Amino acid sequence: MTSVQLALLVLLLPLASAGFIALFLRRRGGAAAALSVVAATTVAVGALVLALQGGRFEAAREWFRLGSFTLSLGFKYDDLAALMLVIVGIVGLCVHVFSLGYMHDDPARGRYFAGLSVFMFSMIGIVLADNLFMMFIFWELVGFSSWLLINHWYEQSAPPEAAKKAFITNRVGDFGFLLGILMCYWLRGTVNLSALAAQGAAGHAIFSRAIPLLLFCGAVGKSAQLPLQVWLPDAMEGPTPVSALIHAATMVAAGIYMLCRIQVLMVPAALTVIMWVGVATALYAALCAFVQSDIKKVLAYSTISQLGYMVAAFGLGSVRELNAQGEVVVVAAGVGAAMFHLTTHACFKALLFLGSGSVIHGCHHEQNIFKMGGLAGRMKFTFVTFTVGVAAIIGLPGLAGFFSKDAILYLAYANNRAAFAVLALTAVLTAIYMLRLWIITFLGASRSEAAAHAHEGGFTLAAPLAVLAALAVVAGYRGLYPDAFAGILRLVPESRGTVHAVIFVTSLGILLAGAALAWVLYGRTGRSAFVSADGTSADAVRDPLQARCPALFDGLVALQHSFDRVYGYYIAKIQQRAAMLLNFLEVIGLAGLVVRGAAGLVGMAGLGARALHVGRLSAYLYWFLGGVVILWLFAVGVL
Amino acid sequence: MITATLNAYLAISALLFAIGFLGVLVRRDTLIIFMCLELMLVASTLALVAFSRFNGTMDGNVFVFFILTVAAAEVAVGLAIIVAFFRKRQTVQVDHIDALKN
Amino acid sequence: MANFVFLFFASFTVICAAGIVLNRNAVNAAMCLLLCLVGVAGLFVRLDAFLLAFLLLLVYAGAVVALFLFIVMLLDTKGGTTPARSAVAKAASLGAGALLVAGLASFTLKGRLAAPPPAGPAVGASLKAYAYELFTLYLLPVEVVGFILLITMIGVIVLSRKEAGGA
Repeated sequence: MTSVQLALLVLLLPLASAGFIALFLRRRGGAAAALSVVAATTVAVGALVLALQGGRFEAAREWFRLGSFTLSLGFKYDDLAALMLVIVGIVGLCVHVFSLGYMHDDPARGRYFAGLSVFMFSMIGIVLADNLFMMFIFWELVGFSSWLLINHWYEQSAPPEAAKKAFITNRVGDFGFLLGILMCYWLRGTVNLSALAAQGAAGHAIFSRAIPLLLFCGAVGKSAQLPLQVWLPDAMEGPTPVSALIHAATMVAAGIYMLCRIQVLMVPAALTVIMWVGVATALYAALCAFVQSDIKKVLAYSTISQLGYMVAAFGLGSVRELNAQGEVVVVAAGVGAAMFHLTTHACFKALLFLGSGSVIHGCHHEQNIFKMGGLAGRMKFTFVTFTVGVAAIIGLPGLAGFFSKDAILYLAYANNRAAFAVLALTAVLTAIYMLRLWIITFLGASRSEAAAHAHEGGFTLAAPLAVLAALAVVAGYRGLYPDAFAGILRLVPESRGTVHAVIFVTSLGILLAGAALAWVLYGRTGRSAFVSADGTSADAVRDPLQARCPALFDGLVALQHSFDRVYGYYIAKIQQRAAMLLNFLEVIGLAGLVVRGAAGLVGMAGLGARALHVGRLSAYLYWFLGGVVILWLFAVGVL
Repeated sequence: MITATLNAYLAISALLFAIGFLGVLVRRDTLIIFMCLELMLVASTLALVAFSRFNGTMDGNVFVFFILTVAAAEVAVGLAIIVAFFRKRQTVQVDHIDALKN
Repeated sequence: MANFVFLFFASFTVICAAGIVLNRNAVNAAMCLLLCLVGVAGLFVRLDAFLLAFLLLLVYAGAVVALFLFIVMLLDTKGGTTPARSAVAKAASLGAGALLVAGLASFTLKGRLAAPPPAGPAVGASLKAYAYELFTLYLLPVEVVGFILLITMIGVIVLSRKEAGGA
């Protein structure tokens, strides 16, 4: 089997699985689950085989042609795609296996696994796409499968709203994306990524600032950057494995991947904008994470913040560094740093989400962290893996997050000190709120009946956690990666000398400061056991921050809700009124005047014509005479 | 003095045609209407023959053959229709042929 | 002399035409039609179209008018049950008459034939000319007319059947 065929198999097998489930296995959840897991396994194995042995290739086939425009579908399998595909495959497999246990009792399992398969198909399509149109097609498909999966429990009231919000917000970003693609096609004549790279290498000046910024709009929507980040916290209404796969590791990372793909189109002005959007997002999300009491919402804001890091890393662009010969070279480090952080983030964020899934499952679907507590003793395995994940995200030296975050901080230090300061501050905040989550959820005493009787899930819930924990530990050591990914990892910036020391000290300082502050603020939260016999205690434990500085707490809550409020105001007041005006115009003008008016005119003409049919021969003859008279007038020359 | 020029023949033809048309308009008996139709046809043949005579060609004359034939055919079929209508409605007054009214 | 023939036959034809239109009785009207045709035949003779004059009398006056008379007799229409004519109809017919008079007047007074052409050779006088034209130049119309007559015959037979198809 050639590489192209293997890639085709990897792409189409989830689609076939989804189709088969949708047609035949809707009621048979067990069979659907098994089929989907088999597909995911094949995808993971195929991705690894392709990456390690398959070589790099490009293949395309023309789909249709309209005049001078051709739309072709093809694969561009280079090191970047190889790395992303392996991430998608491995994390996807872990989530599929986790779902076997987590969704075991769900009555709509078949639909769920079909949705997962559709998502895998769409995501692989984005990864392998070789031109922007094809990427856009799969982009929309990913958005659709996200909607489908968020909406899994559609009988309740919140998931449909959240799914709608996710889809529409994505759509707003996609509008900019589409404009960017069209502009790229119009100005450059092609949307094929390799062709664009060739144009850039051949020295054609790519001056347009609009194209990269418009394409970035798609990433703003998909990767939940400011101002379109409002959908991601709401998307937590979906099942937890879905949150782990789509809204942590892969789909939201598609925006970063797309940015790396279109790197050739970037100009410094656009990169500056991208960087500041990423920095602002990181800071904003970190601030919002402080006031969340739902375990998944904390992780959602943490995801937004880390995505901001990745976007900022990309925006920071390149770094001049001294290579081995002591010459100054420019390294396209933005791509490297962003992708490195994407890889490590996929590992530990998926781990954290699946860990939270295990916690939620163990506490019988309780998601409020203030009703948990004491789980360290009751769910030991989950506790250990979750701790590994927390340590990775806050940058404990030696774990994955440390190396990737260091790379980003180094990049910021080298290029833009202001961004460096903000990112460092955000790292401190990250440490604080993640430790807050860790302490409140696991340490202390059980604060509810459910937490008191928590238990581990089965093997299917534990195995993915183990795999991802292992990855979270080793993913930072670039030396361990096979040579297959050298093309990307080569680009990761590495600090040397005094700068290296500066960055290292900064990282350690961030870690220690964060840990200390977290302990001071939240260390004694929830030490006392809950009281009521009925299992719930309305406000047994409050957020210590809320207790000590209510003003700050309320300020952060307002900050979190500000975007939703603005959007809500806009939709309710402006958009709704515009819609009502248009409706009025349509009812009165179009439906009334034009349509019914035209019909009325025709009706009246018909009535008029009908009146001519008197049935008497002489009347018709008079009409005939009238015609003759007119002809005569013509002949005479009067008319 | 009115001489037998082409103008005169054409005037006669027009006059006959007009009389026939007026008859079709004002008479209410279908059969008489038919006769007036025939009168109109005859008027047209007169004009044709006059033209043919004064231009020295045969076309007008020959055409009269065809008009004659067609008129005969038309009369036959028309009268058959009138007879059929009479059988149904017992009248041949044009005022009563109004089934297509409205 | 020739002029007098023309005048006589012309006025005779016009008077009989008026008679068709004004006669109450259908039989009288048919007789007037016959006389009209006789007048027109005379005019044809004056125009040197002898064959046509004879054909007119034979076919038209002989067959068509006879058919008319048959039907008039067959249908035996009584002229009495006609409703009175409305004022509108009377006014309309007057108007139509006026229009026709105006048309005729404009034609005769302002007709474009300022100088009438002289009479050419009387080609219509010989039978051979008709035959030649009919069988060479106008052969197709002759055949078509044959078909028309065939269809007419079939149509008449179908229309006059006594069962449901005819009435």
